[in-house]
Amino acid sequence: MTLDPKNLGPEDRTALIRLVLTLADSKRLMGIRYSDWLLGAPSVETGIATSSMAQDEWGHARLLYAMLKELDVDPEPIEHDRQASEYASVAALDEEAPDWAALVAMMALADAAIATVLGSFAEGAFETARSRVPKMLAEERFHASLAAAWFRRLAASEGEARPLLERAVERMLPGLLAWAGADDESARRLVDAGVIASADERLTVFRDGVRDLLAEIDVDVDAVEPDADWDVERGRTGGQPAEEAVARARGDLNRALFVE
Amino acid sequence: MKETIYEVFARNNRGDPLAHIGYVDAFDDETAKIHALTTYDEQSWFEMCVVPRAAIIPVDDGEGLFAQLRRASVAREAAR
Repeated sequence: MTLDPKNLGPEDRTALIRLVLTLADSKRLMGIRYSDWLLGAPSVETGIATSSMAQDEWGHARLLYAMLKELDVDPEPIEHDRQASEYASVAALDEEAPDWAALVAMMALADAAIATVLGSFAEGAFETARSRVPKMLAEERFHASLAAAWFRRLAASEGEARPLLERAVERMLPGLLAWAGADDESARRLVDAGVIASADERLTVFRDGVRDLLAEIDVDVDAVEPDADWDVERGRTGGQPAEEAVARARGDLNRALFVE
Repeated sequence: MKETIYEVFARNNRGDPLAHIGYVDAFDDETAKIHALTTYDEQSWFEMCVVPRAAIIPVDDGEGLFAQLRRASVAREAAR
């Protein structure tokens, strides 16, 4: 079944716009969070890998924002004019990772949650997603490999790294479960239209993907409840990304140099 | 955290010689592959391999790069 955006009713169109926005904003913020650590990573090689991941995320964000054109939404003001309170990015990325362990948790969990929803989007009825998202997911594979390697290394460490990792996971996991398993009216409309898989299916994919890693720090992902603080309009949990990060996402410092 | 040095080899096209292009530090084979891929991404290689430096055995004791590295490594171990 292929979905033609021209035949969408207004509610379904709004729901699809919300999905694309939360994915695009999450990708952009994920890139910013990687970029925060380009020079602070534990080794030069890890910093270079982090830089590469930041570039991947920003490229994916650009492709996702461009999908809005098919829904008669101009991506230009979306990318460059919104306030932080309008961003639909997943809450785990709101603040800069305070330490490397927190960035590893973002890499292992937030990037995995985004990949889960993207994977579902790629297998759905929206043709543009079916054609463009698989390449993004292919590029994501090394992010997951690097995340898993670092997560296991920090989990096995005897110093302060493991407690830092545990605290970061505790902070972000409930919100990520809520986001990956979004099940409000807007999400259900997209499930009914065949655009994404059901909330249960998405949650199962996400939990299956991170279960073994989380077990390394004695966290049972099946016992963690999703955050109940849900913002229906943006399709994310409460709060907003830091103003400084959004200024970078919008390109505030470079406005005079924007090229159409 | 203890890391291992991996030598990086690559060839441009099918049939080209596999050339030594540099090295990366990594804590396991998987991260070595990622570090090599992202550090030496200036071109789209036909093939890229990583080898732990310690696994390379120079066949003579001359002035070649890996012979020198092996001698330096042995000297460091002896000094410990």
